[in-house]
Amino acid sequence: MAVFTTHHPLINEPDSLSPEDTLVSKRPAWRRKLLPILLQVGIGLLVLGAIALLLSNLQINLLRRGLELSFDWLGRPARFPLSRGLLPYQTEDSYAWAFAVGFANSLQVVVVGLILATMLGVIGGAASFSSNWLLRKLATLYVAVARNVPPLLHLLFWYVAVFLGFPAARVSVDALASWLRLPISVEFMALLIGLTVYTGAYIAEVVRGGINSVPRGQWEAARSLGFGEGRTLRLIILPQALRAILPGLNSQYINLAKNSTLAIAVGYSDIFSIANTTFNQTGRAIEAFVLLLGGFLAVNLLISGVMNLLNRLVLQRG
Amino acid sequence: MADTPRPGPRPAQLLRRLRRGLFASHLDTLITVVLAVVCGSGLWSLLHWTFLQADWAVVQDNIRLYFNGNFPVSQIWRSWSWLGLLGVLCILTLMPSRLLPPAMVRLLPLFWVLILPIGLLLLAAGLGFEPVKSRFWGGLQLSLLLTLGTILMALPLGILMALARRSSLPLLRWLTTGYIELMRGMPLIAVLFFGQLMIPLFLPEGWTFSRVLRAVLSLGFFMAAYMAEDVRGGLQSIPKTQLEAARSLGLSPLLTIALVELPQALRTALPALANQCVASLQNTSLLAYLGLIELLGISRSILANPNYLGRHLEVYLWLALVYWAVCILMTSLARRVEHSLNVTGHH
Repeated sequence: MAVFTTHHPLINEPDSLSPEDTLVSKRPAWRRKLLPILLQVGIGLLVLGAIALLLSNLQINLLRRGLELSFDWLGRPARFPLSRGLLPYQTEDSYAWAFAVGFANSLQVVVVGLILATMLGVIGGAASFSSNWLLRKLATLYVAVARNVPPLLHLLFWYVAVFLGFPAARVSVDALASWLRLPISVEFMALLIGLTVYTGAYIAEVVRGGINSVPRGQWEAARSLGFGEGRTLRLIILPQALRAILPGLNSQYINLAKNSTLAIAVGYSDIFSIANTTFNQTGRAIEAFVLLLGGFLAVNLLISGVMNLLNRLVLQRG
Repeated sequence: MADTPRPGPRPAQLLRRLRRGLFASHLDTLITVVLAVVCGSGLWSLLHWTFLQADWAVVQDNIRLYFNGNFPVSQIWRSWSWLGLLGVLCILTLMPSRLLPPAMVRLLPLFWVLILPIGLLLLAAGLGFEPVKSRFWGGLQLSLLLTLGTILMALPLGILMALARRSSLPLLRWLTTGYIELMRGMPLIAVLFFGQLMIPLFLPEGWTFSRVLRAVLSLGFFMAAYMAEDVRGGLQSIPKTQLEAARSLGLSPLLTIALVELPQALRTALPALANQCVASLQNTSLLAYLGLIELLGISRSILANPNYLGRHLEVYLWLALVYWAVCILMTSLARRVEHSLNVTGHH
């Protein structure tokens, strides 16, 4: 035994990373098994203790404010106005319905935003491979500018400077709304365009990386077969790049969904702004927060589910 | 190949290159013409507006507010000197390292860590200065302070969580995985909302945190989850042979992490981490909606002044320029660090 103790003195440190490793650590088996268990019990107790402490603080604080946790208030009338949305809403409707309306509004802007941002991103990403010098430089400029300005500033720019600043922009949004027979407001358009432009720049980078991952020989082969630039991209390069693009797209989509909460800056009634107003009216911070989290969990799961499905389809076909 | 420029008189060569780059086919010509017309008219109206229609008084008159916020005017030198120190540090970092004494180069990371406590000392109180409450901090100075605080908190926390997520202890792994996934699924504004309005609910009676501290805590806990994932990506890229080599040299697991895994993982993760740092700066702008007067917040209060009615476009363009410049500065700092790491890594 003594022969083996000439190793580095630090070897008998708690072996947190590889208990199965037997090459160096010559400790008795029961210690190797027991130590991790003890360590985990310790961590578990620490975390539970911290949670219990915080919760007891919470309870004391809520009791002092007379706001014990309950969801009874959800049935009461909300009494705040909302901007026009897909679902009908009146101020006499309940808080619960207001949350549902907010969720639908969020979903609306996220779904339309996903489609538009993908289109913009694919165009932007593909344009950086164009043989046209002007198009290439413009794509680079767009990505460099859009990514380095905070998303909130994007929204404020479109809302205040464009839609409120130019009456013509307002009129054209109203015209679009009556043509499509959809409740499209200026706030919705500002949020949509801001999110699309910001996320589009990130998607353009994802697409550029994906196209880069396709071997150059594919371009040359297509050209020698007499394919034009556009057809090469559409029929040969993009289908192969899709495999590398999809995982990156997924995280950008979830980012777009999360950034849609910036709606509060332009006065669009999304789920976060409903939660915020509810908190201001009722003081129910915890409950409003739980509902908000639930809504976001649903949106994220939805996006990830659809993307996983797409991913599987692409992998099957390729 | 046909692509190589044939020898010929210069103008002809230029013409050929122009033709290949802009007018290779009918479609190309159409795209070029349309883009040129659109960009030209856009640029023209932007220049026309900038120099003839815009009223830049809203920016010129309030430079102090944009940079220092509502910092008391009698103490403003403290705010400027911190911004100045930060500027000097940026220049020193960006300078080619052969122009600096080697001791200075080695101390630079330490300076970057120290700049935050120095800033707090200068801005808050200490050293016999008149104390300035954190609610008077504002403008770009507050944005930078928040960004630095966030990064200095999120990076170590992120590294620890990345290691914990790969630990062999299942409980530790589940807890960190749960935390990281929950945080990454939440919108930032919800986290900040939680931080500003709900942290007081979880504290014992009599404890209060200032708004700025609550903001840094929530931003830091949020960014740590993202940084943990980037570091984990770096850890995953290390070949298994490295660990086997470390083990056969007799390094303990802790030393293996500290000397073999982390340095390589961080070098790989550096570009992603740099993106997160830039995102941290952009994220501070959300606090304008939660009662902090950082760069965007102070601009909102300037725009609320009736003297500057309807000057939104000027202010937003100015803000975009400032944010863009700081983002570019941060990106080039990161590229510099990456470069110097690669240089030392090869020796």
